[in-house]
Amino acid sequence: MSSEGNIRVPYYPGCTLKTKAQGFERSAMECSEALGFVLDELKDWNCCGASFPLTKDNLMGLAGPTNVLIEAEKHCQEHNVAPSVVTLCSFCYNTLKRTSHAFKEDPSKRTTLNAFLERDYQGTIKVEHYLEYLRDTYGFDKLAEQVKVDMSSIRVAPYYGCLLLKPGKEIGLDDPEEPTILHDFLDAIGVTVVDFPAQVDCCGSYLVMREPEKAMNLSSGILDEAGEYGAQALVTACPLCQSNLDKCQRSKTSTKDGLPVLYFTQLLAMALGLSTENHQFEDHQIDPRPVITACGIGCSEKSE
Amino acid sequence: MLIEPQGQSLTAIQELERSTGEKITDCYQCGKCTAGCPASMDPPPSVLIRKLQLGMFDEVVSEQSIWSCMACLTCSERCPKGVSPAAIIEGLKLIHLRDMDPQVQAEELGQEFLAQSTQQAVVSGFRKFI
Repeated sequence: MSSEGNIRVPYYPGCTLKTKAQGFERSAMECSEALGFVLDELKDWNCCGASFPLTKDNLMGLAGPTNVLIEAEKHCQEHNVAPSVVTLCSFCYNTLKRTSHAFKEDPSKRTTLNAFLERDYQGTIKVEHYLEYLRDTYGFDKLAEQVKVDMSSIRVAPYYGCLLLKPGKEIGLDDPEEPTILHDFLDAIGVTVVDFPAQVDCCGSYLVMREPEKAMNLSSGILDEAGEYGAQALVTACPLCQSNLDKCQRSKTSTKDGLPVLYFTQLLAMALGLSTENHQFEDHQIDPRPVITACGIGCSEKSE
Repeated sequence: MLIEPQGQSLTAIQELERSTGEKITDCYQCGKCTAGCPASMDPPPSVLIRKLQLGMFDEVVSEQSIWSCMACLTCSERCPKGVSPAAIIEGLKLIHLRDMDPQVQAEELGQEFLAQSTQQAVVSGFRKFI
């Protein structure tokens, strides 16, 4: 990798990015390199715990994400970079950011967790989503200048889900009910944005484990609405949203072609003119390539 | 039906408030949480909270609808009184889970489910149901 001289951004992948959502990670890595920064993976990370405990007395669920933040702090000190960590998965982002918030705002939690883990973490790490990094550090204006491919022929619905935004007071990425960050991202890369009401509705999340039908119905409703508003595809930042939205179409009758659900980084790669051969599209229930190709956008197996 | 929580019910509700950090009586029943709940919970969040206000702890803790909450946090985001119904519901779930009463049998999860699910769904599911 020709990463010398590039900005190195501390990066926490999380479990799903290394398994079911490899296309998300690879596309993000490839986009970063094209944009001049490198996602620098933490050396020794563990699962973030996936869901932030909502009760005040459930501190065990914070031990995992705290260890991740401590590892990030170590990484930043060793590499002499500002104390921050970037994530791609909405669940990881939510868990790490809320844990970080608890360390800053709740001295009793901080004391208990530090005593339990035998550490002295003070909540210094700034947790950022990749989208947030692009917006606030890299800049959407600068991103727009890097776009090589005209993407205007495809109509895409930005789907935010829940954990990227809520609770608004702790996450603070965007307005939790009427967000614009994905809209602005799509605008920057020249995609035609389809604004649709279900953009922050829940996809069914982990209910797939206990009441899969109910979860699939929720996902179906989101897709139907996106379709009614004229979208040809959806973008998301969450592997579980992607999975639920994508899978619920498998059992549908063939009256509808289905809507492909992409990670925002996959669309970015196309806009930057990068190859999509590592994006794992073959694992999607609804392969996005036919729609993309039909819109006249190169979805190349090889670059150039 | 109790109008004011008394006896064991009062103790249980106070323990739920301690565990969640929420105050049941803060709710003034506007119903925004129920209106926005995507899980079609029946009974819905505002009814569960009203019953807790009336002291009906035993009835509320055994409602099946609490297990349909996906912690999307729409209710908590919209509550004008700063109550988090999602946290109260998770507190009710934890009473079962801490009492070794799992709602999903891990050994019964099919290989196909495990093979196809994202890791975050499995880890979250274990945290919320087992």
